[in-house]
Amino acid sequence: MSIPKLEFPPFHLPAEAEALRGEVRAFLKETLPNIQSEDRFASWNTPSPEFSRALGAKGWLGITWPKQYGGAERSFLDRLVVTEELLGNSAPAGSHWVADRQSGPLLLKFGTEQQRQAILPRIVRGECYFSIGMSEPDSGSDLASVRTRAEPVPGGFRVNGTKVWTSGAHRNHYCITLVRTSGQHGDRHKGLSQLLVDLKTPGVTIRPIINLAGRHDWNEVTFSDAFIPEDCLIGNEGDGWLQVTSELAFERSGPERFMQNVYVLRELVRVLGRQPSKRANAILGRLIARLWTLRQMSTAVAGMMQGGKSPAIEASLVKDLGTIYQQDLPEIARTLAESDATTEDDLADFLDVAQYASMMAPSYTIQGGTTQVLRGIVARGLGLR
Amino acid sequence: MDRDTRDMLLETASRFFAERAGKDIVNGVEKGVWPADLWREIEEMGLPLIAVPEEQDGVGGTLADLMALLRVAGEYAVPVPVAETALANLLVAAAGGKPAGGPSTVALGELSLQGNRVSGKVARVPFAGVAERFVAIVTAGGKSTLVVVPRDAVAIEDAPSHAGEPYGTVTFDGATPEFSGASPVSAGRALELAALARAMQMAGAADKVLVTATEYCKQRVQFGRPISTFQAIQHMLAELASYVAATIASAESASRDADEGGLEKGGSFSIAAAKTQCSDFAHRIAALSHQSMGAMGFTHEHILHHYTRRLWVWRRDFGSETFWGEKIGESFARAGKDELWPALSESRYAA
Repeated sequence: MSIPKLEFPPFHLPAEAEALRGEVRAFLKETLPNIQSEDRFASWNTPSPEFSRALGAKGWLGITWPKQYGGAERSFLDRLVVTEELLGNSAPAGSHWVADRQSGPLLLKFGTEQQRQAILPRIVRGECYFSIGMSEPDSGSDLASVRTRAEPVPGGFRVNGTKVWTSGAHRNHYCITLVRTSGQHGDRHKGLSQLLVDLKTPGVTIRPIINLAGRHDWNEVTFSDAFIPEDCLIGNEGDGWLQVTSELAFERSGPERFMQNVYVLRELVRVLGRQPSKRANAILGRLIARLWTLRQMSTAVAGMMQGGKSPAIEASLVKDLGTIYQQDLPEIARTLAESDATTEDDLADFLDVAQYASMMAPSYTIQGGTTQVLRGIVARGLGLR
Repeated sequence: MDRDTRDMLLETASRFFAERAGKDIVNGVEKGVWPADLWREIEEMGLPLIAVPEEQDGVGGTLADLMALLRVAGEYAVPVPVAETALANLLVAAAGGKPAGGPSTVALGELSLQGNRVSGKVARVPFAGVAERFVAIVTAGGKSTLVVVPRDAVAIEDAPSHAGEPYGTVTFDGATPEFSGASPVSAGRALELAALARAMQMAGAADKVLVTATEYCKQRVQFGRPISTFQAIQHMLAELASYVAATIASAESASRDADEGGLEKGGSFSIAAAKTQCSDFAHRIAALSHQSMGAMGFTHEHILHHYTRRLWVWRRDFGSETFWGEKIGESFARAGKDELWPALSESRYAA
């Protein structure tokens, strides 16, 4: 019984992707100062329709999609570079994020021609935003236990049930919703389907769920006899599980798993001044080395995917390490700043920044597959289960 | 060498180490027994000359070939100075010298030259106890001079490493080199190359630790079932895998960057970051693997310590995470916050 060897073959992003990086960087430098953002340090969950439209105008949304839907038919490595630059420069990418990253690709793969034509060009322009309707009050990591039911009726489905932790539902246009279209609750993977739900549909109620930091990102989305037309079924009825798992696998190892709070590191550099102590340099250097390593791992996984492989274990390892890095970062930075910040004002300011980052940190190892789910995937890969 | 040739060489080396550098050999070295046959065969295979150009009677491989070999050597805890001798030979060849046979090592530290004579003291020189010659790079007047000093021209104080390898303190007291030449590789660069070598050995050792712990947990039965079926153990091994993965990925990336950027300067930042990373996670790899193997892995009888003790030693060799981390931190602080992401994304120092 041999154990698969972990490999992360170093991978260079191609020259055209690096050229694009320069363009994106220049654009962000010019554009970001003029964008109003609700967060001082924005990231992929900070919405800004204004910014998303500006990015769309550059042709950098749906960048890999076919030209017939407004895409640029560029490689997914080009997309990776755009993503890196958005995160590396703390751009408010929250409005278009899910649509560009997850929902658009899902529609491309499984959606009907009519759905694609109606929606993809709007995503590309940065005008159409998506939520994900997967979790329910009794269905978190155990996604196959969803209870929301879509009962086939003439011309469509009558939907009843509740989705929770639905990010951005109060400001987005659509929610791709996982529902049970046949069978019973206990049937698990069978009988599930995905519906393209217009969030303005009568019978769909959106209520805020405020998180511990006082932010309104999440919502509870309740369906009470909501009628969803049949042309909103995505893919085949009953294939929902297959579709949703392929959706979850999208870029588990993407840079959003370790660059979400890179602003903490940038601010740490600022408050330590230009000539920190030897000890401070060493701690800072270790944080930078970890981030560099994560990026090498993520790029290596992208290279493997480009080469036609599906490095599921490696991708899970990147998310596991990356999200824990994002949790360690504010804590290490906070204690280092306390001993080594150059001025009291800088320190006070930084401690606010770090504390906010610490408050957000528990979410990193929960969203998109908890640490424990990821470790289960890795354990399976190691032949342990 | 081309991809196929390298793969073939690595496979041959892997089989050879598995057969000839087993547990008894590793334990023997710890007791002071020099495995002369093993070394002779390593030389016959040409491994210490892997990165020496063919026109200097070497194998003609690249820096990346050498580093790939060292990862394999790390995977078997090969207890002879393959890394040190191959690196010494590479440096000697680059300075126009002809590598000699026998085990050599590098003495990287503060040394001075007066006329042709070398003076100074270098602590923790790996394999000082068995090396026939010491290769050092001395900096004077902005110039780097490589010197090869024979064993009988120095004083050696044995100080075995905590992995039981014959490390020692080497004192040069006006020693006369058997060769000296202008070195295109600076002393600082030689340290980077040595750090890269250790990072790759750590990648090999980390890999072996993961395999060893995983196989053990699949076989060890407690409470009527293999302990690998307990979720607590599964998650522990998955976490171990994440640290091993980071070790491998950082070392491999640095090796690629060093090779592509050339012997004299390639991958400077990547090497610093990789050695920082590998050293930083050595503790976690050791801790989790030992935890998963219980008392068994803590015995001298088991081979796990061949790897975990080497990880602990190697994390300190040629610059620990504090040493390299400090260089990185200093550079990024000096450049300021706006250079952080541009430099990181280009794998270079910020200033």
